Amino acid sequence: MAFRVLIVDDSPVMRAFIRRIIVLSGMEGAEFLEAADGRQALDLLRAQWVDVVLTDINMPAMDGEQLLRCLEGDDLLKSVPVVVVSTDGTASRVHQMFSLGARGYVKKPFLPETLREELERVLGGAYAG
Amino acid sequence: MPDSEWDEMLAVAAGEVLETMFFTAVYGPAQADGPPAEPRVAARLDFEGTPSGALTLSVSEPAARALAANFLASGDEAGPLPVSQLGSVVCELANMICGSLLSHVKIEEHFRLSSPELLPEGAACPPGPPSRSLDVGDGIVDLWLALEHRAN
Repeated sequence: MAFRVLIVDDSPVMRAFIRRIIVLSGMEGAEFLEAADGRQALDLLRAQWVDVVLTDINMPAMDGEQLLRCLEGDDLLKSVPVVVVSTDGTASRVHQMFSLGARGYVKKPFLPETLREELERVLGGAYAG
Repeated sequence: MPDSEWDEMLAVAAGEVLETMFFTAVYGPAQADGPPAEPRVAARLDFEGTPSGALTLSVSEPAARALAANFLASGDEAGPLPVSQLGSVVCELANMICGSLLSHVKIEEHFRLSSPELLPEGAACPPGPPSRSLDVGDGIVDLWLALEHRAN
């Protein structure tokens, strides 16, 4: 089943890596959109439907925490599931991101299957591998 | 935590990141009398939290090329990667090693990492020997960890 992923990270090589890992993990039908920060992500989300957002935390212009706050405050976009992909795996950060509305959290470094499992869990019925 | 434990955790974090995200094995500490000086790709980032500090990473160019090719799945047929992409990959490597290290030491409060900064070619790395020097087969990864309570 086709699904659309928005990858939000200020590092182009990290965005390319995540795309590659999703393809390598065997998830079929993924279409990718990319944004370099939260502001670009919001612009994209307001223009087209996305099934899931994968976002970094530390980014210029608008970071992942601000992006989550904006999404939670937007009636149209608050239902879009967000998975945080970050090097910061401290318990306080993970708790903070979930309390802001994140549906999943993947700590870098991660195995391909870890990202796949989190995507499948968050997408639920929208993705039937 | 004693400095020696920080350095040990640094080696563990680097090994984990290199193996998981860069599909690259660490063969152990690099030999002190290793290969002659090669061009380097180096990056540095600061972190704020308890403690604060900085991580500097310097990778020999052959190793940087191999790591970038693994990370980006860029085969020989694609030709050599541009230097700018090598730099971006080394910055991302520094970012992940630093984040992994700080997560490993179980800091309770969250920390903030600065954006990794690519050091100009020939820029001086921190004085003194690296905190850890790793043999990754195609070359060497040197890591300097500076914590606010110690000078590196």
